Amino acid sequence: MTRDEHKEGIKGMINPSRYGIERFAYWLMRLTGLGLLAYFIGHIYETSNILRGQVGWNEFLELTQTTEGHAILAIVIAMCVFHTVNGIRVMLGHGGIGVGKPSRPDYPYDPASQNYRHKIGIYSAIVLAAIAMMYGLAVMFGE
Amino acid sequence: MRESTIMKIHYGTALAAIALVAVHILMRLTQGFAESLEYESVLANYRFIPYAAMLELILILLAVHGFNGLRVILLELKQGRTYEKAVSYGCLVAMIALIAYGSRTIIMTNMGMV
Repeated sequence: MTRDEHKEGIKGMINPSRYGIERFAYWLMRLTGLGLLAYFIGHIYETSNILRGQVGWNEFLELTQTTEGHAILAIVIAMCVFHTVNGIRVMLGHGGIGVGKPSRPDYPYDPASQNYRHKIGIYSAIVLAAIAMMYGLAVMFGE
Repeated sequence: MRESTIMKIHYGTALAAIALVAVHILMRLTQGFAESLEYESVLANYRFIPYAAMLELILILLAVHGFNGLRVILLELKQGRTYEKAVSYGCLVAMIALIAYGSRTIIMTNMGMV
């Protein structure tokens, strides 16, 4: 078997069944971060249309206040909630909270930091993101 | 600046932004979502000085946090003296440009230049 046959690229790296939910959270954190930065830049541009007066503002609203626009905003809400909740988990971990006590590494070398507390944190972030997205959809399409 | 200091700024801006963005979103929900986006309503928001100041603060906090996050991601992908300097200064310039552009909207609208 050649070395290249072992390579699965990004697909292999994000596969949660191989490296665990922590790796999946790592990728989601970066993807949501980039998505939120893209949205933030777009939002700054979007709101600058207020300087074009009422006609310009309404013209731009017609572009964004559509079914597709609402769907994108719902995804942004989900990204925002996941990034926030998982970010707090990461900050707590960096501060040494919830990572367990240092101990001698014995076989099978389970890292103390990758424990059920942090797993619950990651799953909670995903569930809360889904709930927030549903709420956002209800607010936007409920009118 | 030391990376440990930059990470403290990264976390500080994140925590501050969570609180302020929550207020910003709640303001959309005080009225109906669509009504809150009407021209007069948005204009009134910008002309209310405490709210405009909060928007400016959110703009700075999120620009610092966002572009530092982008810098961290890019530095994880590749390393090298020239590359790292280019990424760091590139992100800094982009951050300043975005803050300047956003501030222009806030200041001009707040001062009634619309």
